[in-house]
Amino acid sequence: MKKLTALVATLLSLIVVFPIFYSISASFFTYADFTSIPARLLPSVPNLENYQRAFSESNLEQFLANSLVTASLGTVLRMAVSILAAYTFSFFTFKGRDALFVLIVATMLLPSDALLLANYSTIRSLRLTDTYLGIISTTLLAPTHIFMLRQYFKTVSSEYREAAVIEGCGDLRFLTTLLIPISKAVVITLSIHSFSTIFNDYLWPLLVTNKESMRTVQVGLTMLGFSENLDYGPQFAAITLLITPILIAFVAMHKPIQSSVSTRFAGR
Amino acid sequence: MKKRNASLIKPYALILPALALAVVFAYRPFILTLLNSLHTVSLQGQRLTFVGLENYQRLFASQSFQASLSNTLRFTLYFVPTNLIICLGAALLSNRKGKLAALNQVFFFLPMAVGLSSSMMILKMMFNPSIGIINQLFGTDIQWFNDKHAAMALLVMAGVYLDIGLNFLLLHAALRNVPSELHEVAKIEGANGFQIFRYLQAPLIAPTFIFVLMTNIKDAMLISSPVLILTEGGPFRSTQTLVYQMYLEGFKSGNYAMGSAIATVVFLLTLSALLLLLHMERRRVYYQ
Repeated sequence: MKKLTALVATLLSLIVVFPIFYSISASFFTYADFTSIPARLLPSVPNLENYQRAFSESNLEQFLANSLVTASLGTVLRMAVSILAAYTFSFFTFKGRDALFVLIVATMLLPSDALLLANYSTIRSLRLTDTYLGIISTTLLAPTHIFMLRQYFKTVSSEYREAAVIEGCGDLRFLTTLLIPISKAVVITLSIHSFSTIFNDYLWPLLVTNKESMRTVQVGLTMLGFSENLDYGPQFAAITLLITPILIAFVAMHKPIQSSVSTRFAGR
Repeated sequence: MKKRNASLIKPYALILPALALAVVFAYRPFILTLLNSLHTVSLQGQRLTFVGLENYQRLFASQSFQASLSNTLRFTLYFVPTNLIICLGAALLSNRKGKLAALNQVFFFLPMAVGLSSSMMILKMMFNPSIGIINQLFGTDIQWFNDKHAAMALLVMAGVYLDIGLNFLLLHAALRNVPSELHEVAKIEGANGFQIFRYLQAPLIAPTFIFVLMTNIKDAMLISSPVLILTEGGPFRSTQTLVYQMYLEGFKSGNYAMGSAIATVVFLLTLSALLLLLHMERRRVYYQ
């Protein structure tokens, strides 16, 4: 029974990982390798031509740069907005506080996919199409982040802040020297989450960019033109280049990733 | 006095960015969508005349929309159980000790590292009927993009591939939180594998399972990007979904009014799913 479980689990996990394995392997295929019979799982002769062509025949570097800029900028701004709001909602008392909190968190109920058309006309009338700001604009409000940060900040005693204010410490200094450092774990988790969400976004960046030079890598990857001509080698090479660093990070950090999910559940 | 005023205004100033974003990118577009769906709208996005529910009447009478609605619901119906069975199966089967089990677990959540467009491009090439590895490997001749059943099946597989990483992690974490002492006791008392699952594990992972179920339903109703990359709604609209049709109406045909009416239908569908989710979340199901 135990052996059977292990066997089935291993088979299923191999199926799940197969597309990743195949993408990496096929990035070294020659053109003939794709059509050889029987089908090939490994390249006949490893060659780097696909990688050269992926770079020389496309704007992959530009796409990647655009993605890194938008994901970094978006993450920083999104975290700043979220931390400021969560800080205010947990340490200040003011009129309408709870109603305003609900107003912000309730935006969770409006899926951004259904808002695409209206958001696009907003961005167009602000003349922000084909700009970095346009690409990140709709991702800056993260109600779930504000909600989670507030839950966390609320566990910090308000006496800390009162003491800090009496000592003449301003809000910004309190945030940067005390609150954010003691909330490091949740801030880092949310930042990583933000970065990967914005980096992996597809439909919105596709809509707000028309110029090829402004495309993010997720959009650019689907428009390289290789796969339309059944020229799969360079396409697989481009994908492999993009996913390999992330795969390495995931494998290296598989323990913290697994335990962060379980403590998040167990903690409540 | 001046200082007191400043400290009165301060909290509002600090939440202003979040508030402004909520208004500009959530509430205002939401209201505009509702309004546009009740008007005729010019190609430039200007509302022209109020037409009441006429757009909705035309929408529900059109074959294209009927196809989208039925495809979206059918996709949800196929995708959600398939995905849940596979993800729960993966979590249960790999809930063992040892190096091989650890490797299984890593493999199960690794698809999470591959972004949406990369994984969809990989599948698109693997499933190409003429030179794709899938048909070659199995010696089949399935027209994945030209046969409506095959295309829908492909879309379901794509959906599972996109969700398995995170769903596996969530379910696996929930299973690991089942106290091992209880497991031991159950075994000593002679419970078999099924009984352990039915009476011990299932009740304890139920909150996580319900969370995964609800997010799956929501994701399924909103599916669009995989359609855009893999099948473009084809063949013969057989994989055209609601959000994909909304995208077509708004961005390809310039028909904002129709697009907005579809968006409103999507709101209603997902809102019911999301309200249920929030209700569950209040009952101590918790995830970011």
